Amino acid sequence: MTAAEQRPALPDGLRDRVLAASLRARAAGRPEPAAPEITAAEAYSRAADAFYGMLGVLQEEDWDRPALRGLDVQGLVGHLTGVEEDVHRCLAGDPQVAQASHVGSTQAAADRQAGRSPAQTRAEWRHAADRTLDLVHAAGDTDAEVAVHGMRLPLGMLLVVRAFELWIHDNDIRQAAGLPPSVPDPSTLSLMTQAAAQFLPHAAAREGLREPTSVHLVLTGPGGGTWDIPIGDGPPAPAPVGIIADAVGFCRLVANRATPEGLGLHITGDPDRATVVLAAASTLALD
Amino acid sequence: MAEGRASVHGVGVGDTDALLATRLAAGDDRALAEVFDRLAPAVYSGALRVLGHDAAAQDVVQDVFVELWGHPGRYDPDTGSLRTYLTMQARHRAVDLVRAEMRRAARQERSSRLEPGQPDPSAYEQMMASETAAAVRAAVEKLPESQRRIVELAYFKGLTCREAAQAAGIPEGTAKSRLRLALAKLETVLDRQLLESS
Repeated sequence: MTAAEQRPALPDGLRDRVLAASLRARAAGRPEPAAPEITAAEAYSRAADAFYGMLGVLQEEDWDRPALRGLDVQGLVGHLTGVEEDVHRCLAGDPQVAQASHVGSTQAAADRQAGRSPAQTRAEWRHAADRTLDLVHAAGDTDAEVAVHGMRLPLGMLLVVRAFELWIHDNDIRQAAGLPPSVPDPSTLSLMTQAAAQFLPHAAAREGLREPTSVHLVLTGPGGGTWDIPIGDGPPAPAPVGIIADAVGFCRLVANRATPEGLGLHITGDPDRATVVLAAASTLALD
Repeated sequence: MAEGRASVHGVGVGDTDALLATRLAAGDDRALAEVFDRLAPAVYSGALRVLGHDAAAQDVVQDVFVELWGHPGRYDPDTGSLRTYLTMQARHRAVDLVRAEMRRAARQERSSRLEPGQPDPSAYEQMMASETAAAVRAAVEKLPESQRRIVELAYFKGLTCREAAQAAGIPEGTAKSRLRLALAKLETVLDRQLLESS
């Protein structure tokens, strides 16, 4: 008889009692250690400072390197200046930016960098980002809904999206210049992963995923967490899809900068449905 | 569990302890349930072997899993398996309970000698004390004579260390050092019982 066979069965109710006591000590979904909470404005401010610092270490020749969508590094920084300017218009109540194209609306700002010095482009972007922060502080209420580039969302969430985009383009430029990639601090990353989880049902709906599915999303590492996300119409399917991924990697996937195969994801449930969900997640990218 | 495709991996029974640890840290309650289903029988059985009492063993199981969930970072996969970590945690807690019970029993015995009018302990306390004492007495039997004598005087007869030293006819310092050695050996014996059962 083996040791396992000699073991007494667990007493009735012990499993439920222990799991309940554990979840009273720490709620399901909450990471441990939890990243210190910061405001969305602080996350944006940190991302802006990191971006500005990265621009400061670029060599003169790096600004001409191809970066994204036919833009060189200088043009990409110009695009970001254009995004800030549209955010300014949004905060000023201009309805025209509500449905403006994220790329088309900012192309002029990208184009006008031609012939400028990198220092001018960098200073213009910094000025625009500072202006965004000033307007946010003046607005005060970050729960108020705003509309820009086809998104209607609370101002705080817009700032998280902006922090997300700054980090992604920071890394686009790093890649173009041969610099090592950067990772947001855990507090900022935590807001980004929360936003990604929150937007997942919208992305799935936009991609036509109507069949009810519950996604058990586990994002590991600093800034991670666990979410149970209903997707599709109607009550969730009884056999949910589980996705386990590194938090930073999942954010890169959401930004369409990484593929599921490249991340070494772990999944449970229907792999085909998981693939569809992950494909939908990558459409959240703002280029 | 369904397998994924390419480098997208299925998870479940084959999860590495490192992956389970990161899932626990991320707040994945399913990982907690998986760990419980896989390892709670070993933890419970080990605690029961040391303590000899079902309710106390269940308390140890609860303490061990609440601790794992509350502080998953305290488990380092590089230092050993999750099974070893949890059974070691259970061992420490069970031995602590036995020590506390020994002290309580000694205090109670001394108190009852000084105050004969004290009410009897509850049926639960009597059973707990009896079952725990049986496990401890078995371990005490394995001690060298000089150490066993001082343990019996200090714990089973409820004497202070000075009184035990006088009764045994040895200096108080010697009594203290024999007690320390005896407790260390008792812990080892009780630990072995737990490890053998896990």
